[in-house]
Amino acid sequence: MARTGNKNIQAKLVLLGDMGTGKTSMVLRFTKGQFFDFQESTIGAAFFTQVLSLNEATIKFDIWDTAGQERYHSLAPMYYRGAAAAVVVYDITSMDSFERAKKWVIELQRQGNPNLIMFLVGNKVDLEEKRKVGNEEAEQYAKENGLVFLETSAKTAQNVNELFYEIAKRLTKKVPSRPTGMKLHRRPQETGRRRQLPRFPQLFVRMLVYQIELHCGPSDLKIKAALNEK
Amino acid sequence: MEKKRIDDYEPGPLPSPRQLDRFGFVKQEIHNSQDGLTKGRSAYEFDREERRVRNWRKMIGVGGSDWKHYVRRKPHVVKRRIRKGIPDCLRGLVWQLISGSRDLLLMNPGVYEWLGLFKSAVILSNHKSQVVEVDPQLVIYETSASELDIIRDISRTFPSHVFFQQRHGPGQRSLYNVLKAYSVYDRDVGYVQGMGFLAGLLLLYMSEEDAFWLLVALLKGAVHAPMEGLYQVGLPLVQQYLSLFDRLVKEHMPKLGEHFTQEMINPSMYASQWFITVFSYSFPFHLALRIWDVFLYEGVKIVFKVGLALLKYCHDDLVKLPFEKLIHALRNFPEDAMDPDTLLPMAYSIKSTEVSCANQLIKTWTRIEFLSSSSYPLEWKRAAMEERVGVLSSTFSMD
Repeated sequence: MARTGNKNIQAKLVLLGDMGTGKTSMVLRFTKGQFFDFQESTIGAAFFTQVLSLNEATIKFDIWDTAGQERYHSLAPMYYRGAAAAVVVYDITSMDSFERAKKWVIELQRQGNPNLIMFLVGNKVDLEEKRKVGNEEAEQYAKENGLVFLETSAKTAQNVNELFYEIAKRLTKKVPSRPTGMKLHRRPQETGRRRQLPRFPQLFVRMLVYQIELHCGPSDLKIKAALNEK
Repeated sequence: MEKKRIDDYEPGPLPSPRQLDRFGFVKQEIHNSQDGLTKGRSAYEFDREERRVRNWRKMIGVGGSDWKHYVRRKPHVVKRRIRKGIPDCLRGLVWQLISGSRDLLLMNPGVYEWLGLFKSAVILSNHKSQVVEVDPQLVIYETSASELDIIRDISRTFPSHVFFQQRHGPGQRSLYNVLKAYSVYDRDVGYVQGMGFLAGLLLLYMSEEDAFWLLVALLKGAVHAPMEGLYQVGLPLVQQYLSLFDRLVKEHMPKLGEHFTQEMINPSMYASQWFITVFSYSFPFHLALRIWDVFLYEGVKIVFKVGLALLKYCHDDLVKLPFEKLIHALRNFPEDAMDPDTLLPMAYSIKSTEVSCANQLIKTWTRIEFLSSSSYPLEWKRAAMEERVGVLSSTFSMD
């Protein structure tokens, strides 16, 4: 694989899942080693970065931590679009959260990119006595859907670092050896031709984008980028 | 703070008053020095503060009796004084007066208690001491998704404030009651994450019932454009405000706008919570209060203006940063940028035709939403749509 044994990979990672499943706690445990029993609800989304060094590569994670409530669903595509990995989190003490996780998986399969690495994570294993979602059940589901499955506890730190290491490992496998500085974001080409849109009147295109956003959530950024070029 | 003994009231360790800031938040070492209020006050400042409060009292009259008269006679004086900050001891009352929630309360006596009767089975079984006579059918009907969401978020709203810290303490119970009442009152909206911060902020300054009506006044638009679109399915108004904010950034700070485009930064990455919680989430509390003073009197345009002012203040740093650092900076503004006495004057000075266009747009939009959600004839809806398109083109044809 890598000749130099040291690739630099930048990867966008998104956390999805029902509210109160511990997405933010998991990221805080990973990035800062902190845990709060009462973590403030995430409104909109939060962003974190963390660097992980493996033998084969250095991975820089750009982590989008999303708001969990169903109502915030319409904002989610803009966070998972272009992500290299998605972590779908449920709470092992809540069957509802597991059902919600399945919905996320379906949505990602339908709309996400086909190369997306997907993890299914059952959090809060420290609350074993309140468990509602069986380990086997989730594992079975993960297997059927080609997801990597783990159970974690952000509170006790069980499996949290392992989760991110596992993601990092799979990312390095996916990325063919290339010059350093490989980015796993979908970004506009740095140089040269951006795709030109047909020259509609600006106002018309703007209104179109506006309408699209109004009905279908944030529209493709490329259109906007093209608009702003002129 | 009242102290009631309830069966399942487990008082957590209560921080000693020394660890709290003036507003009741547990102090974090980081901004110990500068919560904007701990600084010692000179006798002169003290006098000035006294004078201010006296003036305000005169303006309000006993229990708010002179307020309307004063506002009608000297609106500019009211505006100027509000922009300087409402004295903390009068804030709760003034907020109710300027938001129109006082009138709602008076027009709807008993409604809040009635909404409170919709207690669910969950709560009744938890609070056996509060026996409420409820129609059993209502009880079943009301164990809604909203309610479970509220319960899950209750201890995660202002977790560092002493009033909301204790599990099942008075703060958490008030918060629950207000949010629950709202979710019953307005089923389309129900409970949405973020509303807890609005309610929490209000509850620090007024009673449950007053806070509830202020929430109604805001979401239903008693005085200004209704906020409910921020919370309805699809968060339509959030999308709209964000795309407008995007354009405003480009209008006011073309260089930064260009940089954002280059780095693929868009406002939903940093500004959605500004609108959803009106800066009450993850901003210094004393700043949030000052923004709320103006917000309740002048409407949502102050949110746009404060947002622009923040970017403007940090402009020269922001234009140099790459994506990751940029996002971080946009979510962690430096202390000095968040000093109300610096930031707010900057915000007031931002003038934009688009901001006022925005207000226009929002008003029109709300009418259309209303029309399209109801069973009006198609032609009406089309007319309304066309009207919106008209407004749109006047908003967007600036370049």
